[in-house]
Amino acid sequence: MGLQLRVNSVGAMSSMCKTVTGNFAKVIHGLNANQLTDQVIQRSKRMILDTLGVGLLGTSTEVCHKVAQYSKIYSSDLSSTIWGHLDFRLPPLYAAFVNGVAVHSMDFDDTWHPATHPSGAVLPALIALSEAFPQKKKISGLDLLLAFNVGIEVQGRLLHFSREARNIPRRFHPPAVVGTMGSAAACAKLLALDQLECKNALAIAASYAGAPLANAATQIKPLHVGNAAKHGLEAACLALQGLQGNKQILDMESGMGAFYTDYNPETLPTLQSYPWLLDQQDVAIKRFPAHLATHWVADAASSVRRKLMEGSESLLPLDKIEKVILKVPEVKYVNRPSPASEHEARHSFQFVACSALLDGSMSVQSFASENVHRPALRELLCKTQLEHPPDNTPSFDSLYCEVSATLRDGSTISDRCTTFYGHWRKPLKKEDLEKKFQSNALSILPAEAIKGIIETVYNLEKVEDCSVLSTFLSGQSARVLPEKLRFL
Amino acid sequence: MNSAQPQHTAGFHITTLPLLCAPEDTVTSSFASFIRAVRPEHLSPTVRQRSKRMILDSIGVGLVGSTTRVFDIALRYCREMYSSVAVSSVYGKPGVKLSPTLAAFTNGVATHSMDFDDTWHPATHPSGAILPALLAASQMLPSNTKPNGLDFLLAFNVGLEVQGRLMHFSTEAHDIPKRFHPPSVVGTLGSAAATAKLLSLSSAQCCHALGIAASLAGAPMANAATQAKPLHVGNATRLGLEAALLAGQGMEANPLILDDIPGCSGFSAFYSVYQPKPLSVPGEHHEFLLEKQDIAFKRFPAHLGMHWVVDAALSVRNLFINYAGSFSPSLIRTIMLKIPVSKYINRPFPSSEHQARHSFQFNACAALLDGEVGLGSFSESSIHRQELRELLDKVVVEHPEDNVANFDKMYGEVALLLHSGDILTGKCDTFYGHWRKPLSKESLLKKFRSNASHVLPEEKIEAIITMVDNLENLSDSSQLACSL
Repeated sequence: MGLQLRVNSVGAMSSMCKTVTGNFAKVIHGLNANQLTDQVIQRSKRMILDTLGVGLLGTSTEVCHKVAQYSKIYSSDLSSTIWGHLDFRLPPLYAAFVNGVAVHSMDFDDTWHPATHPSGAVLPALIALSEAFPQKKKISGLDLLLAFNVGIEVQGRLLHFSREARNIPRRFHPPAVVGTMGSAAACAKLLALDQLECKNALAIAASYAGAPLANAATQIKPLHVGNAAKHGLEAACLALQGLQGNKQILDMESGMGAFYTDYNPETLPTLQSYPWLLDQQDVAIKRFPAHLATHWVADAASSVRRKLMEGSESLLPLDKIEKVILKVPEVKYVNRPSPASEHEARHSFQFVACSALLDGSMSVQSFASENVHRPALRELLCKTQLEHPPDNTPSFDSLYCEVSATLRDGSTISDRCTTFYGHWRKPLKKEDLEKKFQSNALSILPAEAIKGIIETVYNLEKVEDCSVLSTFLSGQSARVLPEKLRFL
Repeated sequence: MNSAQPQHTAGFHITTLPLLCAPEDTVTSSFASFIRAVRPEHLSPTVRQRSKRMILDSIGVGLVGSTTRVFDIALRYCREMYSSVAVSSVYGKPGVKLSPTLAAFTNGVATHSMDFDDTWHPATHPSGAILPALLAASQMLPSNTKPNGLDFLLAFNVGLEVQGRLMHFSTEAHDIPKRFHPPSVVGTLGSAAATAKLLSLSSAQCCHALGIAASLAGAPMANAATQAKPLHVGNATRLGLEAALLAGQGMEANPLILDDIPGCSGFSAFYSVYQPKPLSVPGEHHEFLLEKQDIAFKRFPAHLGMHWVVDAALSVRNLFINYAGSFSPSLIRTIMLKIPVSKYINRPFPSSEHQARHSFQFNACAALLDGEVGLGSFSESSIHRQELRELLDKVVVEHPEDNVANFDKMYGEVALLLHSGDILTGKCDTFYGHWRKPLSKESLLKKFRSNASHVLPEEKIEAIITMVDNLENLSDSSQLACSL
């Protein structure tokens, strides 16, 4: 039997929530679709589309194959779609896990400020859950959109509880901390848990949260997002079953505070004309699959290359370059002079700079094994150094990157990038966002499904039954299930 | 190379070696090598005997734990979510099987559901974090590669040893925890290590199992004294098992996860002070921590700290009965407790069983009132008794400076200040069951039989006792799991 859905109790909880935890539960429970602003709707739909695309592309990665293999040892009657696969399904928890891993497998997913990867922790859980409701209950696109935004909002609010969170992390990987909580909140919303259950979902989720940063730049990093999605969903399900945790989990230093050295929780604004964080602060969407900090470097390096090529040669004059200096913020886990794997290459200022200098731009292909190890790149890497100017703070809101190439004749060509294209200050245009999605989904889904997803997401608030999204994600086309494409 | 500008922080240099092989001189690789290379011959008689006692006790508390509400929830959840590949047994439910990781989860929850499971020094609940994973894994393996009882016992001890060694990386770990609940930190890695050993993973895979497990570790203390606390042990054992399985599938993590990595935390993320030390690869002889430091077994289902005040309360109760002829609460003006400082076990008026198990005040008063503390002391009706509440009203708490929040050093003192002006005192430095005063074999068996009888018939109970006692001679260790 599937998950039991409970009817929302009509009885109101006491209006005064004296704890931050209780307040969060109240807001998660109380937010409704009318409170979504246009900007929030538009931005979150862009995030959903981008996340689906990077997830589809990610299903082709080795890490994703491994987790799918592993997850297949569990199967049941109840099942959810694995994006890009018609050939097998998994229980919702493992579907959330595998799809979450797919989303973060190449570090191609969205990034927010304060820093985390918000969508990958939430969307896979919601989509998996939406397929696991009893047949009669349809989840509309608007339900999905609202729950998605609840999940994003909770993450953002939690990140504001600590000054530490403003900078690029050093101890715990944020998606594993706030992502788990966001997933729990989003799933609690979709499941229509009552206030007490929402509180418990948050409390239980906290006991799953947290993963050390040292696993970034390894094959495990994608699992941080996969696990965040999965464990948040599990927490909500356990709360639905009546499991109880600490009702002040967000208030206590020994609660969520355990993950931070400075922790100052605050209650959320009142529900009346609710001010969503996504309204004030957009996400950054990546143009190529690597750590966000490398995007500044790529833009600066491409620009330097253009200047170098004014002599109209077809190849970069490698032997004319004496050294390359990168002025970057100090971020230890992205400082890798000589990366040996694709995971490391995605977390290397040096690699991305040299790659962009050689090729003019970065793409998915830049991280293929043959490109990571090519001799020309290795040669250029040997000439590359980092500098950390004191005014270059390790924050995605304020960092910059400067690339300088010093030639043998003594001249220097340089360029500085303060805001790369795709950053929240310079968001991707609609066409470019779609192009990224199409390019990602191309090798995985048929054209009709690709088109179907774009259309469905763009009209999400009008979609009557969001399972049409899952249908497309599994690779089926619109023609197979025409009745599901009904818009309100 | 021209280096006119000073090279700023070198950061984390990656060697050109593929991530599969960790360089030999790292702490992480020393752990991986130990897990891989240690043999049954390295288990001393003391270690064997102690660890078998732990296995028996752990099974017992798990069996009685299968009667709890939190267990019900966990089991229901697992059964609703999954049905296939159900090969692993669940404590106290002979007809039920679950997938290995969920069986481990459920049994782990059972084990810690009443806070009745063993405690070590430095503080953690070691057995619940590893035994369920091993039991589940033993049933997962094909019949021609089943590990024997000695392999099982060895894997169990590897899991213990790794947990103990990890806790020695931080002085913080010596005291009762404040931030992260230790079973969720070291327990997860212990489970990964134990499972990796049972599954005979390669050294590199053992290394990655630890790394993967680190990303699944860590739960905040705030959920202690709530219904969610048992999940910490359930998840430790389950996620450690998952980590080992994933490593077995070829998943790779950071090979320096246990080492100190400045600017980018590995396992050190869970501590503010962290000094990792390598394990020596066992040559002819390896001294397991369990040899030097035994475990404490609980006599009643409550936080370990409670055991000191209960023994002190029982002692002063006897004095009081001698003095007054019977236990007469009306003669008592104040009950003074001298206890160490530890917020999560200082609760003047607990309102749930979970809180009651984490309340010095409650346990002292229950002992005074009833002359003993047992399973029944924590039922709803017992917690809310009028006479008990009246006693609780008289309690005053003091934190003497010399009473450190440390399971090796703390003491409990209960003083009855009577209306007559007389003062009666009971003090306990070492309760019966503590590692300094271990439970006798008879006491341990009595506890097991009492626990197991809630869910199993007598023949099965005796069969388990015999099996664990002769564990080294068991040819197929999955029989242990099947007998539950």
